[in-house]
Amino acid sequence: MMRELVALTRRELLRIARNPQAIITSLLLPILYLVLFGQAFNLNSIGQGKVSPAAFLYIYRGAPNYFSYFAAGMTGFIAVTATLFVGANVIFDRLFGVLKRTAASPATATSIFGSRLIAGSIQPIGLAFLVLGLAILLGRLGLAGLSVTASVTVVGAAEVVLAVVILSMMFASLFIAIGFSLEQPQTYFAVVNAINLPVLLTSAALFPWGTMPAWFQNVASFNPITLAVNVVRENLFAGAAAYYPYDPEVYLLGLVGWALAMFVIATLLARRALAPRR
Amino acid sequence: MDDAITVENLSKTYNGTVKAVEHVSFSVRAGEAFGFLGPNGAGKTTTVSMLTAGLAPTAGHAVVDGVDVFRHPDLIKKRIGLVFQESTADSDLTGRENLELAAALFAVPRRDTRAKIDSLLERMQIGEAADRLARTYSGGMRRRLELAVGIIHSPRVLFLDEPTLGLDPQGRAGFWRYVQELRKDHGMTVFLTTHYLDEADSICDRIAIIDHGHIVATGSPSELKDRLGGDVVTVRPVRDDPALEGLLRAVPGVLSVASQDGAYRLKAPRGEELVPGLVEACTRAGIGLYSVSVKRPSLDEVFLELTGHEYREDEGMTPTDRAVRIGQFQQAVGRARR
Repeated sequence: MMRELVALTRRELLRIARNPQAIITSLLLPILYLVLFGQAFNLNSIGQGKVSPAAFLYIYRGAPNYFSYFAAGMTGFIAVTATLFVGANVIFDRLFGVLKRTAASPATATSIFGSRLIAGSIQPIGLAFLVLGLAILLGRLGLAGLSVTASVTVVGAAEVVLAVVILSMMFASLFIAIGFSLEQPQTYFAVVNAINLPVLLTSAALFPWGTMPAWFQNVASFNPITLAVNVVRENLFAGAAAYYPYDPEVYLLGLVGWALAMFVIATLLARRALAPRR
Repeated sequence: MDDAITVENLSKTYNGTVKAVEHVSFSVRAGEAFGFLGPNGAGKTTTVSMLTAGLAPTAGHAVVDGVDVFRHPDLIKKRIGLVFQESTADSDLTGRENLELAAALFAVPRRDTRAKIDSLLERMQIGEAADRLARTYSGGMRRRLELAVGIIHSPRVLFLDEPTLGLDPQGRAGFWRYVQELRKDHGMTVFLTTHYLDEADSICDRIAIIDHGHIVATGSPSELKDRLGGDVVTVRPVRDDPALEGLLRAVPGVLSVASQDGAYRLKAPRGEELVPGLVEACTRAGIGLYSVSVKRPSLDEVFLELTGHEYREDEGMTPTDRAVRIGQFQQAVGRARR
């Protein structure tokens, strides 16, 4: 099984590498968000003189400014937007016969799903850290940038990496599951758009926590994107722990729960899709 | 000789109403090339899908290479080779990468993989294009790549589901040449579906003719053609005459007469010897003839005889187009043999 998993993952990675347009497009969106939205949407200047620094820290849950809060939240945004294509590839592979060929081979549904999950998660993980690096660089260039105010420990860095990895895998699982359930690309993109926008908008990825009404905070608390960005922010910003009811490990555990649920659903759907048709 | 494929009472009904295949039974001997012949929608692909564990049957039993297909679908996938009618090779991978992937999925021993891939690429004449993306391949090259992928694990039974669909006559002849070589070298059993009657005639040891989900006849191409009782003589009168059928029946040597579309199809052991007598009898009766043609029995005739309707091979294709295409195919086969 390991040999087929490696071979199928290699196939997925080769396809990604041979499609530079898709890589550039997926890079462009978060970079534009950082460079345009992040620079223009300067919430600090709005409250200048009226909102105390302590209140800002509450609003941004320990982040020194909105851009830093937002840049850390971009890791969650990327996990959603950069994994979208993974499910679409399942549909295109079905349309072009590749999935039929794979299903006719002795490869297990777990390997077929697993290879797509691994390959599909690598890009958003790489992209998330590239964006964090770029956000820090923007600050060094005199623009609004990400200020990492905490001394990040090895454990903290590992937690940040894990949060990004698990969140990316969770969304990749979700989109692969949708890909295995639908047949037409148009339907896939309609369904995915109907999911990703509400999921993003009910998370703490982009909206300042302190400006959300209480009911919204309750909803956002359970959102897997919020769980992941909580881990990132608690580890990147000094004193941030005071603004979070739980330690990063607890959020990681919640995230693992989400990811496992999606993994199980996607595996079952892949098995159903690859089983002999009825 | 052992049977490589045994099928008993296989049926498939879609959505509880559409009967694609009904109570199909047949067996294929080991090493045989067995053709499953029928027009579009006859149930060929449905049967192949069931026998290759891609589709669950509504009823019936099938054993392929000693394995119960419906009890052990995972095992059957390891045992058989399958070439689909549509292209399934990954366009974003090279020919070699497609084969490497297939070798891994079919657990071809690692130590043999490279040599096997090189040998297949060479044999299929795609060695020079091995490191090009499959999307740059011509139709014929893609088909040969599909065949190489299908046999990477040296299966004992190879299923070919309309593998030459869309290929030009040369491409088709070339493809079948590779299949025949494989049979000769490895004793592979080949189960093929096609709606090209000429292909089935020249390649298959035995044929099953399927129409509307039922097998209407099974036998070797010559056995099936012999069932017609000899040559087919088609008499086309200038004007239909009620006396003509009786007149034709009375000509010595005529076994049977059937009328269709203003023409009369006569069966006779030696058709060409019948022509002078036919012409003379009609002339004497004052019945003008537009044409008289003699045909050795073909599978088209067999199909017409068994099903009562013309073979719907390529709807919309004129008889002239079809004759030209068959001629091209036969010439290409001749060239390939030389």
